Amino acid sequence: MDLVLEFFKNTGFALADWRYLIMIAVGILFCYLSIAKQYEPLLLLPIGFGVIIGNIPFFQGFGLGIYEENSVLHYLYFGVKTGIYPSIVFLGLGAMTDFSSMLARPKLMLLGAAAQMGIYFTLLSALALGFAPNEAASVAIIGGADGPTSIFLTAKLAPDLIGPVAIAAYSYMALIPIIQPPIMRLLTTKKERLIHMPETSREVSRKELLFFPIVGVLLCCFLAPASIPLLGPFFFGNLMKVSGVVDRLAKTASSAVIDTATIFLGFTVGASTQADVFITPKALGIFFLGSIAFSIATASGLLFAKFMNLFLKEKINPLLGAAGVSAVPGSAREVHLVAQKEDPSNYLLMHAMACNASGVIGSAICAGILWSFMAR
Amino acid sequence: MHLDFGLIAANNGWAMAIAGAIIVILGLTTLSFIISQLHKIIALFEQKQITPEPATPACCTDHGEADIDFLNDLDASARLYQVLSDDLGNSFDIAKLYQRSHRDQLPHPHITIRALRETGYLIPQGDGRFSWKND
Repeated sequence: MDLVLEFFKNTGFALADWRYLIMIAVGILFCYLSIAKQYEPLLLLPIGFGVIIGNIPFFQGFGLGIYEENSVLHYLYFGVKTGIYPSIVFLGLGAMTDFSSMLARPKLMLLGAAAQMGIYFTLLSALALGFAPNEAASVAIIGGADGPTSIFLTAKLAPDLIGPVAIAAYSYMALIPIIQPPIMRLLTTKKERLIHMPETSREVSRKELLFFPIVGVLLCCFLAPASIPLLGPFFFGNLMKVSGVVDRLAKTASSAVIDTATIFLGFTVGASTQADVFITPKALGIFFLGSIAFSIATASGLLFAKFMNLFLKEKINPLLGAAGVSAVPGSAREVHLVAQKEDPSNYLLMHAMACNASGVIGSAICAGILWSFMAR
Repeated sequence: MHLDFGLIAANNGWAMAIAGAIIVILGLTTLSFIISQLHKIIALFEQKQITPEPATPACCTDHGEADIDFLNDLDASARLYQVLSDDLGNSFDIAKLYQRSHRDQLPHPHITIRALRETGYLIPQGDGRFSWKND
Protein backbone atom coordinates (compact mmCIF):
# COMPACT_ATOMS: atom_id res chain seq x y z
CA MET A 1 0.00 0.00 0.00
CA ASP A 2 2.87 2.34 0.87
CA LEU A 3 4.37 1.65 -2.52
CA VAL A 4 1.14 2.62 -4.25
CA LEU A 5 0.82 5.79 -2.17
CA GLU A 6 4.43 6.71 -2.87
CA PHE A 7 3.87 6.12 -6.55
CA PHE A 8 0.75 8.31 -6.50
CA LYS A 9 2.68 11.14 -4.83
CA ASN A 10 5.05 11.12 -7.80
CA THR A 11 2.37 11.17 -10.49
CA GLY A 12 1.43 14.25 -12.40
CA PHE A 13 -1.99 14.26 -10.74
CA ALA A 14 -0.47 14.80 -7.32
CA LEU A 15 2.20 17.25 -8.44
CA ALA A 16 0.03 19.47 -10.66
CA ASP A 17 -0.94 22.96 -9.62
CA TRP A 18 -3.00 25.66 -11.35
CA ARG A 19 -0.02 27.02 -13.30
CA TYR A 20 0.58 23.70 -15.06
CA LEU A 21 -3.09 23.38 -15.88
CA ILE A 22 -3.16 26.87 -17.39
CA MET A 23 -0.15 26.09 -19.55
CA ILE A 24 -1.62 22.77 -20.65
CA ALA A 25 -4.79 24.65 -21.60
CA VAL A 26 -2.63 27.08 -23.61
CA GLY A 27 -1.00 24.12 -25.36
CA ILE A 28 -4.36 22.64 -26.23
CA LEU A 29 -5.52 26.06 -27.48
CA PHE A 30 -2.47 26.26 -29.77
CA CYS A 31 -3.19 22.79 -31.12
CA TYR A 32 -6.82 23.77 -31.66
CA LEU A 33 -5.88 27.00 -33.48
CA SER A 34 -3.44 25.19 -35.71
CA ILE A 35 -5.77 22.33 -36.61
CA ALA A 36 -9.21 23.96 -36.65
CA LYS A 37 -8.31 27.51 -37.71
CA GLN A 38 -5.09 26.61 -39.53
CA TYR A 39 -3.24 29.55 -37.93
CA GLU A 40 0.43 28.93 -38.75
CA PRO A 41 -0.06 25.15 -38.27
CA LEU A 42 3.55 24.28 -39.13
CA LEU A 43 4.68 26.17 -36.04
CA LEU A 44 1.74 26.23 -33.67
CA LEU A 45 1.16 22.49 -33.71
CA PRO A 46 4.69 21.48 -32.61
CA ILE A 47 4.77 24.36 -30.13
CA GLY A 48 1.32 23.56 -28.76
CA PHE A 49 2.14 19.91 -28.25
CA GLY A 50 5.50 20.88 -26.80
CA VAL A 51 3.72 23.12 -24.28
CA ILE A 52 1.55 20.19 -23.22
CA ILE A 53 4.56 17.87 -22.86
CA GLY A 54 6.64 20.48 -21.06
CA ASN A 55 3.94 21.09 -18.49
CA ILE A 56 3.27 17.58 -17.36
CA PRO A 57 4.43 17.76 -13.73
CA PHE A 58 7.17 15.36 -12.71
CA PHE A 59 9.48 14.93 -9.76
CA GLN A 60 12.80 16.67 -10.18
CA GLY A 61 16.11 14.86 -10.46
CA PHE A 62 14.95 12.03 -12.68
CA GLY A 63 16.34 13.58 -15.87
CA LEU A 64 12.96 14.23 -17.47
CA GLY A 65 12.51 18.00 -17.80
CA ILE A 66 13.95 20.18 -20.49
CA TYR A 67 15.98 22.11 -17.92
CA GLU A 68 17.44 18.95 -16.36
CA GLU A 69 20.79 17.88 -17.70
CA ASN A 70 20.93 14.48 -19.38
CA SER A 71 17.25 14.51 -20.29
CA VAL A 72 16.33 13.78 -23.90
CA LEU A 73 14.46 17.08 -24.13
CA HIS A 74 17.51 18.89 -22.81
CA TYR A 75 19.63 17.49 -25.62
CA LEU A 76 17.03 18.40 -28.22
CA TYR A 77 16.85 21.89 -26.68
CA PHE A 78 20.58 22.28 -27.31
CA GLY A 79 19.77 23.28 -30.89
CA VAL A 80 17.66 26.16 -29.62
CA LYS A 81 20.06 27.37 -26.94
CA THR A 82 23.00 27.45 -29.32
CA GLY A 83 21.08 28.97 -32.22
CA ILE A 84 21.60 25.90 -34.45
CA TYR A 85 17.93 25.37 -35.33
CA PRO A 86 17.32 29.01 -36.36
CA SER A 87 20.36 28.87 -38.65
CA ILE A 88 19.11 25.66 -40.25
CA VAL A 89 15.64 27.14 -40.66
CA PHE A 90 17.19 30.14 -42.40
CA LEU A 91 19.04 27.80 -44.76
CA GLY A 92 15.75 26.23 -45.75
CA LEU A 93 14.02 29.60 -45.97
CA GLY A 94 16.70 30.81 -48.37
CA ALA A 95 16.23 27.71 -50.51
CA MET A 96 12.48 28.40 -50.60
CA THR A 97 12.58 32.15 -51.25
CA ASP A 98 12.11 33.55 -54.70
CA PHE A 99 13.72 36.98 -54.81
CA SER A 100 12.69 37.78 -58.38
CA SER A 101 9.72 39.84 -57.19
CA MET A 102 11.98 41.93 -54.96
CA LEU A 103 14.69 42.27 -57.59
CA ALA A 104 12.13 43.54 -60.05
CA ARG A 105 10.84 46.14 -57.57
CA PRO A 106 13.83 47.21 -55.46
CA LYS A 107 12.18 50.32 -54.03
CA LEU A 108 9.77 48.10 -52.10
CA MET A 109 12.77 46.92 -50.08
CA LEU A 110 12.62 50.20 -48.19
CA LEU A 111 9.32 49.13 -46.66
CA GLY A 112 11.06 46.09 -45.21
CA ALA A 113 13.54 48.46 -43.58
CA ALA A 114 10.85 50.80 -42.27
CA ALA A 115 8.92 47.98 -40.64
CA GLN A 116 11.92 47.26 -38.44
CA MET A 117 11.27 50.46 -36.52
CA GLY A 118 8.96 48.48 -34.26
CA ILE A 119 12.05 46.72 -32.93
CA TYR A 120 13.75 49.91 -31.81
CA PHE A 121 10.58 51.45 -30.40
CA THR A 122 10.10 48.31 -28.31
CA LEU A 123 13.73 48.38 -27.23
CA LEU A 124 13.10 51.81 -25.71
CA SER A 125 9.80 50.72 -24.14
CA ALA A 126 11.36 47.61 -22.59
CA LEU A 127 14.25 49.61 -21.17
CA ALA A 128 11.80 52.12 -19.71
CA LEU A 129 9.85 49.26 -18.14
CA GLY A 130 12.96 48.12 -16.30
CA PHE A 131 14.18 45.24 -18.47
CA ALA A 132 17.95 44.82 -18.55
CA PRO A 133 19.45 45.90 -21.92
CA ASN A 134 20.08 42.33 -23.15
CA GLU A 135 16.53 41.32 -22.17
CA ALA A 136 15.10 44.46 -23.77
CA ALA A 137 16.87 43.63 -27.04
CA SER A 138 15.49 40.08 -26.94
CA VAL A 139 11.96 41.36 -26.38
CA ALA A 140 12.35 44.07 -29.02
CA ILE A 141 13.25 41.61 -31.77
CA ILE A 142 9.69 40.22 -31.54
CA GLY A 143 8.83 43.33 -33.58
CA GLY A 144 10.64 41.76 -36.50
CA ALA A 145 7.87 39.15 -36.55
CA ASP A 146 10.41 36.47 -37.28
CA GLY A 147 10.35 33.47 -34.96
CA PRO A 148 13.78 31.97 -35.72
CA THR A 149 15.44 35.39 -35.50
CA SER A 150 13.77 36.09 -32.15
CA ILE A 151 14.86 32.72 -30.80
CA PHE A 152 18.38 33.14 -32.11
CA LEU A 153 18.92 36.56 -30.55
CA THR A 154 17.29 35.58 -27.27
CA ALA A 155 19.43 32.45 -27.08
CA LYS A 156 22.49 34.66 -27.38
CA LEU A 157 21.42 37.50 -25.10
CA ALA A 158 18.87 36.25 -22.58
CA PRO A 159 18.54 32.44 -22.73
CA ASP A 160 16.14 32.42 -19.77
CA LEU A 161 13.58 34.28 -21.86
CA ILE A 162 13.57 31.97 -24.89
CA GLY A 163 10.23 30.42 -23.94
CA PRO A 164 8.19 33.61 -23.52
CA VAL A 165 9.88 35.42 -26.42
CA ALA A 166 9.40 32.49 -28.81
CA ILE A 167 5.81 31.92 -27.78
CA ALA A 168 5.04 35.65 -28.09
CA ALA A 169 6.73 35.87 -31.52
CA TYR A 170 4.97 32.82 -32.94
CA SER A 171 1.64 33.71 -31.35
CA TYR A 172 1.62 37.14 -32.92
CA MET A 173 2.70 35.68 -36.25
CA ALA A 174 -0.24 33.30 -36.02
CA LEU A 175 -2.54 36.16 -35.10
CA ILE A 176 -1.61 38.30 -38.10
CA PRO A 177 -5.15 38.01 -39.55
CA ILE A 178 -6.46 39.53 -36.33
CA ILE A 179 -3.76 42.09 -35.48
CA GLN A 180 -2.79 43.62 -38.83
CA PRO A 181 -6.04 44.41 -40.70
CA PRO A 182 -7.41 46.91 -38.12
CA ILE A 183 -4.09 48.77 -38.12
CA MET A 184 -4.07 48.78 -41.93
CA ARG A 185 -7.57 50.24 -42.06
CA LEU A 186 -6.85 52.75 -39.33
CA LEU A 187 -3.78 54.20 -41.00
CA THR A 188 -4.88 54.22 -44.65
CA THR A 189 -7.74 55.86 -46.50
CA LYS A 190 -10.04 53.91 -48.81
CA LYS A 191 -8.55 55.79 -51.74
CA GLU A 192 -5.07 54.65 -50.76
CA ARG A 193 -6.17 51.05 -50.36
CA LEU A 194 -7.56 51.13 -53.89
CA ILE A 195 -4.22 52.03 -55.46
CA HIS A 196 -3.26 49.44 -58.07
CA MET A 197 0.35 48.51 -58.49
CA PRO A 198 1.71 48.03 -62.03
CA GLU A 199 1.08 44.41 -62.96
CA THR A 200 3.94 44.03 -65.35
CA SER A 201 7.46 44.29 -64.13
CA ARG A 202 10.88 43.85 -65.62
CA GLU A 203 11.87 40.25 -66.18
CA VAL A 204 14.68 39.31 -63.81
CA SER A 205 17.55 37.48 -65.49
CA ARG A 206 19.17 34.34 -64.12
CA LYS A 207 22.43 36.23 -63.69
CA GLU A 208 20.73 38.77 -61.41
CA LEU A 209 19.29 35.96 -59.32
CA LEU A 210 22.76 34.43 -59.11
CA PHE A 211 24.50 37.67 -58.19
CA PHE A 212 21.96 38.71 -55.57
CA PRO A 213 22.83 36.16 -52.84
CA ILE A 214 26.52 37.01 -53.23
CA VAL A 215 25.96 40.76 -53.15
CA GLY A 216 23.38 40.41 -50.38
CA VAL A 217 25.51 38.29 -48.06
CA LEU A 218 28.57 40.48 -48.58
CA LEU A 219 26.78 43.75 -47.96
CA CYS A 220 24.59 42.62 -45.06
CA CYS A 221 27.27 40.62 -43.27
CA PHE A 222 29.96 43.25 -43.73
CA LEU A 223 27.49 45.73 -42.24
CA ALA A 224 26.40 43.52 -39.34
CA PRO A 225 28.77 40.55 -39.02
CA ALA A 226 26.75 39.23 -36.09
CA SER A 227 24.00 38.37 -38.56
CA ILE A 228 26.25 35.83 -40.33
CA PRO A 229 24.70 32.80 -38.54
CA LEU A 230 21.31 33.76 -39.98
CA LEU A 231 22.02 35.50 -43.26
CA GLY A 232 24.94 33.26 -44.23
CA PRO A 233 22.80 30.11 -44.45
CA PHE A 234 19.90 32.14 -45.83
CA PHE A 235 21.76 33.46 -48.85
CA PHE A 236 23.59 30.14 -49.28
CA GLY A 237 20.25 28.34 -49.44
CA ASN A 238 19.08 30.82 -52.03
CA LEU A 239 22.24 30.43 -54.11
CA MET A 240 21.74 26.65 -54.13
CA LYS A 241 18.19 27.20 -55.37
CA VAL A 242 18.98 29.65 -58.16
CA SER A 243 22.23 28.04 -59.29
CA GLY A 244 20.35 25.07 -60.69
CA VAL A 245 23.43 22.85 -60.34
CA VAL A 246 22.62 21.41 -56.92
CA ASP A 247 18.91 20.82 -57.22
CA ARG A 248 19.10 17.84 -54.88
CA LEU A 249 20.69 19.89 -52.12
CA ALA A 250 18.32 22.82 -52.61
CA LYS A 251 15.33 20.48 -52.55
CA THR A 252 16.56 18.79 -49.37
CA ALA A 253 17.28 22.12 -47.66
CA SER A 254 13.82 23.42 -48.51
CA SER A 255 12.02 20.27 -47.41
CA ALA A 256 13.58 17.64 -45.14
CA VAL A 257 16.18 19.87 -43.52
CA ILE A 258 13.93 22.83 -42.68
CA ASP A 259 11.09 20.53 -41.68
CA THR A 260 13.28 18.59 -39.24
CA ALA A 261 14.62 21.80 -37.70
CA THR A 262 11.11 23.26 -37.47
CA ILE A 263 9.77 20.18 -35.72
CA PHE A 264 12.50 20.19 -33.05
CA LEU A 265 12.51 23.96 -32.77
CA GLY A 266 8.77 24.20 -32.23
CA PHE A 267 8.53 21.17 -29.98
CA THR A 268 11.40 22.10 -27.66
CA VAL A 269 10.45 25.78 -27.50
CA GLY A 270 6.97 24.65 -26.50
CA ALA A 271 8.40 22.28 -23.93
CA SER A 272 10.56 25.07 -22.51
CA THR A 273 7.45 26.86 -21.25
CA GLN A 274 7.40 24.92 -18.01
CA ALA A 275 4.88 26.68 -15.79
CA ASP A 276 7.26 27.28 -12.89
CA VAL A 277 9.68 29.20 -15.12
CA PHE A 278 7.15 30.59 -17.59
CA ILE A 279 4.28 32.11 -15.61
CA THR A 280 6.03 35.16 -14.22
CA PRO A 281 5.32 38.92 -14.34
CA LYS A 282 8.24 39.24 -16.74
CA ALA A 283 6.64 36.84 -19.20
CA LEU A 284 3.43 38.85 -19.09
CA GLY A 285 5.48 42.00 -19.77
CA ILE A 286 7.08 40.26 -22.76
CA PHE A 287 3.67 39.36 -24.18
CA PHE A 288 2.47 42.92 -23.73
CA LEU A 289 5.58 44.42 -25.30
CA GLY A 290 5.51 41.84 -28.09
CA SER A 291 2.06 42.96 -29.17
CA ILE A 292 3.23 46.60 -29.08
CA ALA A 293 6.31 45.70 -31.11
CA PHE A 294 4.29 43.89 -33.75
CA SER A 295 1.73 46.68 -34.03
CA ILE A 296 4.37 49.42 -34.25
CA ALA A 297 6.24 47.43 -36.90
CA THR A 298 3.08 47.19 -38.98
CA ALA A 299 2.28 50.86 -38.47
CA SER A 300 5.77 52.09 -39.30
CA GLY A 301 5.74 50.16 -42.58
CA LEU A 302 2.37 51.65 -43.52
CA LEU A 303 3.38 55.19 -42.56
CA PHE A 304 6.68 54.94 -44.42
CA ALA A 305 4.83 53.85 -47.57
CA LYS A 306 2.64 56.94 -47.24
CA PHE A 307 5.77 59.04 -46.74
CA MET A 308 7.33 57.56 -49.89
CA ASN A 309 4.18 58.48 -51.82
CA LEU A 310 4.89 62.15 -51.11
CA PHE A 311 7.87 61.90 -53.46
CA LEU A 312 6.88 59.20 -55.93
CA LYS A 313 5.23 59.93 -59.26
CA GLU A 314 3.81 56.44 -59.44
CA LYS A 315 2.18 55.96 -56.03
CA ILE A 316 2.51 52.71 -54.16
CA ASN A 317 -0.30 51.12 -52.22
CA PRO A 318 0.55 51.89 -48.57
CA LEU A 319 -0.92 48.57 -47.47
CA LEU A 320 2.33 47.04 -48.74
CA GLY A 321 4.11 48.62 -45.80
CA ALA A 322 2.39 46.14 -43.49
CA ALA A 323 4.13 43.32 -45.36
CA GLY A 324 7.50 44.77 -44.40
CA VAL A 325 7.43 42.67 -41.24
CA SER A 326 9.11 39.39 -41.95
CA ALA A 327 6.21 37.05 -41.22
CA VAL A 328 6.45 35.13 -44.51
CA PRO A 329 4.01 34.73 -46.18
CA GLY A 330 1.31 35.55 -43.60
CA SER A 331 1.60 39.31 -43.71
CA ALA A 332 1.87 39.40 -47.52
CA ARG A 333 -1.27 37.29 -47.77
CA GLU A 334 -3.09 39.59 -45.35
CA VAL A 335 -2.13 42.71 -47.31
CA HIS A 336 -3.42 41.05 -50.46
CA LEU A 337 -6.69 40.07 -48.79
CA VAL A 338 -7.32 43.55 -47.34
CA ALA A 339 -6.71 45.11 -50.77
CA GLN A 340 -9.01 42.56 -52.40
CA LYS A 341 -11.79 43.35 -49.97
CA GLU A 342 -11.75 46.93 -51.23
CA ASP A 343 -11.33 45.98 -54.87
CA PRO A 344 -11.37 42.33 -55.96
CA SER A 345 -9.35 43.20 -59.06
CA ASN A 346 -6.42 44.54 -57.02
CA TYR A 347 -3.65 41.94 -56.81
CA LEU A 348 -0.90 42.90 -54.39
CA LEU A 349 0.49 39.49 -53.48
CA MET A 350 3.67 39.58 -55.55
CA HIS A 351 4.46 43.13 -54.46
CA ALA A 352 3.80 42.23 -50.84
CA MET A 353 6.13 39.23 -51.13
CA ALA A 354 8.89 41.62 -52.20
CA CYS A 355 8.40 43.60 -48.97
CA ASN A 356 8.22 40.36 -46.99
CA ALA A 357 11.53 39.09 -48.36
CA SER A 358 13.13 42.41 -47.54
CA GLY A 359 11.67 42.20 -44.03
CA VAL A 360 13.37 38.85 -43.45
CA ILE A 361 16.74 40.35 -44.36
CA GLY A 362 15.99 43.49 -42.33
CA SER A 363 15.07 41.68 -39.13
CA ALA A 364 18.16 39.45 -39.36
CA ILE A 365 20.33 42.56 -39.77
CA CYS A 366 18.60 44.09 -36.74
CA ALA A 367 19.34 40.97 -34.71
CA GLY A 368 22.99 41.27 -35.71
CA ILE A 369 23.05 44.97 -34.81
CA LEU A 370 21.45 44.41 -31.39
CA TRP A 371 23.78 41.51 -30.62
CA SER A 372 26.78 43.68 -31.52
CA PHE A 373 25.49 46.53 -29.35
CA MET A 374 24.99 44.26 -26.35
CA ALA A 375 28.36 42.58 -26.77
CA ARG A 376 30.11 45.91 -26.22
CA MET B 1 5.66 47.88 -13.84
CA HIS B 2 5.92 51.56 -14.58
CA LEU B 3 7.65 53.57 -17.27
CA ASP B 4 10.89 55.23 -16.24
CA PHE B 5 12.39 57.09 -19.18
CA GLY B 6 15.53 57.74 -17.18
CA LEU B 7 16.37 54.05 -17.56
CA ILE B 8 16.56 54.46 -21.34
CA ALA B 9 19.28 57.07 -21.08
CA ALA B 10 21.00 55.19 -18.27
CA ASN B 11 21.31 52.13 -20.51
CA ASN B 12 22.35 54.08 -23.60
CA GLY B 13 19.00 53.17 -25.13
CA TRP B 14 18.45 56.29 -27.22
CA ALA B 15 21.82 55.91 -28.93
CA MET B 16 21.26 52.19 -29.59
CA ALA B 17 17.77 52.73 -31.01
CA ILE B 18 18.71 55.65 -33.25
CA ALA B 19 21.98 54.10 -34.45
CA GLY B 20 20.32 50.71 -35.01
CA ALA B 21 17.46 52.22 -37.00
CA ILE B 22 19.81 54.29 -39.16
CA ILE B 23 22.12 51.33 -39.83
CA VAL B 24 19.33 49.00 -40.96
CA ILE B 25 17.72 51.66 -43.15
CA LEU B 26 21.05 52.60 -44.72
CA GLY B 27 21.94 48.95 -45.23
CA LEU B 28 18.71 48.02 -46.96
CA THR B 29 18.68 51.28 -48.96
CA THR B 30 22.17 50.50 -50.23
CA LEU B 31 21.17 46.93 -51.07
CA SER B 32 18.05 48.23 -52.79
CA PHE B 33 20.15 50.67 -54.85
CA ILE B 34 22.65 47.97 -55.79
CA ILE B 35 19.99 45.53 -56.94
CA SER B 36 18.25 48.29 -58.89
CA GLN B 37 21.51 48.74 -60.81
CA LEU B 38 22.46 45.06 -60.93
CA HIS B 39 20.84 44.35 -64.28
CA LYS B 40 22.55 47.38 -65.80
CA ILE B 41 25.95 46.29 -64.48
CA ILE B 42 25.39 42.77 -65.79
CA ALA B 43 24.35 44.15 -69.17
CA LEU B 44 27.52 46.25 -69.26
CA PHE B 45 29.71 43.20 -68.64
CA GLU B 46 27.81 41.17 -71.19
CA GLN B 47 28.40 43.84 -73.84
CA LYS B 48 32.12 43.79 -73.11
CA GLN B 49 32.23 40.05 -73.36
CA ILE B 50 30.79 39.93 -76.87
CA THR B 51 33.71 38.67 -78.92
CA PRO B 52 34.50 40.68 -82.03
CA GLU B 53 33.92 39.02 -85.40
CA PRO B 54 37.09 37.10 -86.25
CA ALA B 55 39.04 38.74 -89.03
CA THR B 56 38.78 36.76 -92.20
CA PRO B 57 42.15 35.10 -92.77
CA ALA B 58 44.08 36.34 -95.73
CA CYS B 59 44.41 32.81 -97.07
CA CYS B 60 40.65 32.36 -97.22
CA THR B 61 39.92 35.69 -98.80
CA ASP B 62 42.62 35.24 -101.37
CA HIS B 63 41.56 31.78 -102.32
CA GLY B 64 37.81 32.13 -102.21
CA GLU B 65 37.28 29.83 -99.23
CA ALA B 66 33.52 30.34 -99.28
CA ASP B 67 33.30 28.83 -102.71
CA ILE B 68 35.24 25.65 -101.89
CA ASP B 69 33.45 22.37 -101.32
CA PHE B 70 36.06 21.05 -98.88
CA LEU B 71 35.05 17.39 -98.89
CA ASN B 72 34.33 16.90 -102.57
CA ASP B 73 36.80 19.24 -104.23
CA LEU B 74 40.05 17.92 -102.77
CA ASP B 75 42.21 19.76 -105.32
CA ALA B 76 40.87 23.09 -104.10
CA SER B 77 41.20 21.97 -100.46
CA ALA B 78 44.81 20.93 -101.03
CA ARG B 79 45.64 24.32 -102.58
CA LEU B 80 44.12 26.13 -99.60
CA TYR B 81 45.88 23.95 -97.04
CA GLN B 82 49.19 24.35 -98.88
CA VAL B 83 48.88 28.10 -98.43
CA LEU B 84 48.36 27.52 -94.72
CA SER B 85 51.56 25.50 -94.48
CA ASP B 86 53.66 27.71 -96.79
CA ASP B 87 56.06 28.89 -94.12
CA LEU B 88 56.35 25.50 -92.39
CA GLY B 89 58.83 24.14 -94.87
CA ASN B 90 58.65 21.10 -97.14
CA SER B 91 58.22 18.71 -94.26
CA PHE B 92 55.94 19.93 -91.48
CA ASP B 93 54.28 18.73 -88.32
CA ILE B 94 50.66 17.73 -89.10
CA ALA B 95 49.58 19.07 -85.70
CA LYS B 96 50.58 22.58 -86.87
CA LEU B 97 48.37 22.22 -89.89
CA TYR B 98 45.47 21.28 -87.64
CA GLN B 99 46.18 24.31 -85.42
CA ARG B 100 46.21 26.70 -88.36
CA SER B 101 43.04 25.28 -89.85
CA HIS B 102 41.33 25.71 -86.47
CA ARG B 103 42.70 29.23 -86.11
CA ASP B 104 41.29 30.23 -89.48
CA GLN B 105 38.02 28.44 -88.71
CA LEU B 106 38.06 26.29 -91.82
CA PRO B 107 35.15 23.86 -91.92
CA HIS B 108 35.72 20.18 -91.03
CA PRO B 109 39.55 20.35 -90.76
CA HIS B 110 39.91 16.85 -89.33
CA ILE B 111 37.86 15.19 -92.09
CA THR B 112 39.51 17.28 -94.77
CA ILE B 113 43.07 16.55 -93.61
CA ARG B 114 42.28 12.87 -93.27
CA ALA B 115 40.89 12.88 -96.82
CA LEU B 116 44.02 14.66 -98.06
CA ARG B 117 46.16 11.97 -96.40
CA GLU B 118 44.09 9.09 -97.71
CA THR B 119 44.09 10.40 -101.26
CA GLY B 120 47.84 10.97 -101.28
CA TYR B 121 47.90 14.76 -101.29
CA LEU B 122 49.69 14.62 -97.94
CA ILE B 123 52.62 12.19 -97.84
CA PRO B 124 53.82 10.85 -94.49
CA GLN B 125 57.50 11.43 -93.70
CA GLY B 126 57.52 9.67 -90.32
CA ASP B 127 57.36 11.02 -86.76
CA GLY B 128 54.10 12.83 -87.45
CA ARG B 129 55.60 14.92 -90.22
CA PHE B 130 54.11 15.27 -93.72
CA SER B 131 54.90 16.89 -97.03
CA TRP B 132 52.74 17.83 -100.00
CA LYS B 133 52.62 15.76 -103.18
CA ASN B 134 55.03 17.35 -105.68
CA ASP B 135 52.73 18.04 -108.63
